[in-house]
Amino acid sequence: MSAPFLGAILSIEFWQYVAVTAGIYSIFALGLQLQFGFAGLLNFGHIGFMAIGSYTMAMLIVHASLPMWISAPIAIATAMLFGLIIGIPALRLRADYLAITTIAFSEIIRIFILNSVRWTGGPQGLLGFATEYTDFSRSAGRRLSSITHIGFDPDRVLLVLVWPTVLLLYLVLRKLTRSPWGRVLRAIREDEDAADALGKNPLAYKLQALAIGSAFAAIAGIFFSYQLLYLTPTEFEPLFTFFAWVIVLLGGTARLGGVPVGAVIFAVIFAGTRFLEFWPLSLLDDGDRAAVRLIVVGLILIGLMAFRPQGIFGKKEELLLDR
Amino acid sequence: MTVESSAGGHRTRHDTVLEVDDVTKHFGGIGAVDRVSLGVERGSITALIGPNGAGKTTLFNLVSGFIAPESGTVLFNGRRIDGKPPHAIARRGLVRTFQITKALTKLSVLENMMLAAPDQPGERFWSVWFRATKVRDREREVRERALDALRIFALDHMADEYAGTLSGGQRKLLELARALMTRPTMVLLDEPMAGVNPTLGRSLLEHMRQIRKDQGVTFLYVEHDMDVVMTHSERIIVMADGRVIAEGTPDEIRRNQGVIDAYLGTAGAPT
Repeated sequence: MSAPFLGAILSIEFWQYVAVTAGIYSIFALGLQLQFGFAGLLNFGHIGFMAIGSYTMAMLIVHASLPMWISAPIAIATAMLFGLIIGIPALRLRADYLAITTIAFSEIIRIFILNSVRWTGGPQGLLGFATEYTDFSRSAGRRLSSITHIGFDPDRVLLVLVWPTVLLLYLVLRKLTRSPWGRVLRAIREDEDAADALGKNPLAYKLQALAIGSAFAAIAGIFFSYQLLYLTPTEFEPLFTFFAWVIVLLGGTARLGGVPVGAVIFAVIFAGTRFLEFWPLSLLDDGDRAAVRLIVVGLILIGLMAFRPQGIFGKKEELLLDR
Repeated sequence: MTVESSAGGHRTRHDTVLEVDDVTKHFGGIGAVDRVSLGVERGSITALIGPNGAGKTTLFNLVSGFIAPESGTVLFNGRRIDGKPPHAIARRGLVRTFQITKALTKLSVLENMMLAAPDQPGERFWSVWFRATKVRDREREVRERALDALRIFALDHMADEYAGTLSGGQRKLLELARALMTRPTMVLLDEPMAGVNPTLGRSLLEHMRQIRKDQGVTFLYVEHDMDVVMTHSERIIVMADGRVIAEGTPDEIRRNQGVIDAYLGTAGAPT
């Protein structure tokens, strides 16, 4: 083992970063859990809604000089609106068309960001939206330090912002999915025609699930912006959507509590293995090691499907009920 | 209550709850339902029979809104429902079941029942948050009603099990019970007894008669078993090749030469 590896694995700053990442992944994947786990929607373009959240907020701050407390809600509303715009035509079609439409949509968003250089900075990235946040973060950090007598660096402040948000959003979804509203959603997931025949409007509910899930993606995007402090289109590639899928499947479909657990496991594997550079990995350069991490994630997913297809918290008997 | 007579004026029956008038639907050039007109009397148990491919299920799909007719009108309670989506038709009190049961397998049996109850404000997003008490109270009522209904259908011991664990026959019972949870005016049953063992089948028929007696619900059902059809229906509608070829009481149908011809050579000839 080389010194940088040991240094990283023992550094609290590193694990703080991993924990913030896990929190952001949780919020992101909770949105997908509602859409897929409860409504049965195949959203393969979740990252597009996160990108809309990140960039809308950042652009409103940079170009319209709006405060972040106003930009952020507008960004969330914009993502929801796009959810409806995509959903109204795509949800009328068979389920798999939603998958095709959403993945294409997320790429359209990314390529649009890449090319509208004037507004988004294009490949150079978008900077200068975080001043208000960093000021806020610094003063919040000072205040927290004076109460707790421990140091609060920006990541640590973000940590105490992200995880309570995860908890809050988890509770919101818990309430929703256990309500009669959630029952209709699950009925539509099971059999749309049966729900329709009992007087429930499937399209209306699927649109709501899509919009709420998009709001979650946008919230994740806002936190993500303030973790990075600058935005580039490369952060919003389709691969990111499948991180959320891995988390949902890892934790268990339709198991809300599985999401944060899956997100922590995923973040530890994915971010935490960044510093694995001992032999034989030391034979590889940085780029190849990054690829190795994806291979590890893939192997875990294959193993999961083979030995525990219902995920960590999923119920095996539910898998056997599928027609 | 009098229902306006249809365009042709061929039917001026006093109380027709469902009136199908000159409805047509083709599938790839074949007239699956070809200029069909029929009426179902309020509070009756009416059977819809006919050889395979006669268009019975297509007719159900047309009436329940799963398919829009190419031409013709469908009146329910005197109001047009053709072209309306299934959920809108169901909310007006016309509910259907499916030939291949659609139990919502990963919902519990009780949840299947509770889902069907109308007027649950908790099915609206904002009510979940801002009318929580009302939602809870309504949920309690619905739960009681669902459990009562499950007891009647002898499914109460399965209330907390996944609907996917029910047998085929139990699923048919659940579908009927669930349809009745919507407090319907009329129920369309597509082969309610297919694949159901005779004991369960009999209890299903008894439930149907009892519910009609207690709540005045109208039933229109597709069935192939002629003994059942002849003994349990007040009226019978016969379809063949996408058309209605006869309508009448079991006795009239039994004597109808056209019906006998349509069934000739098939095992299910009316006796």
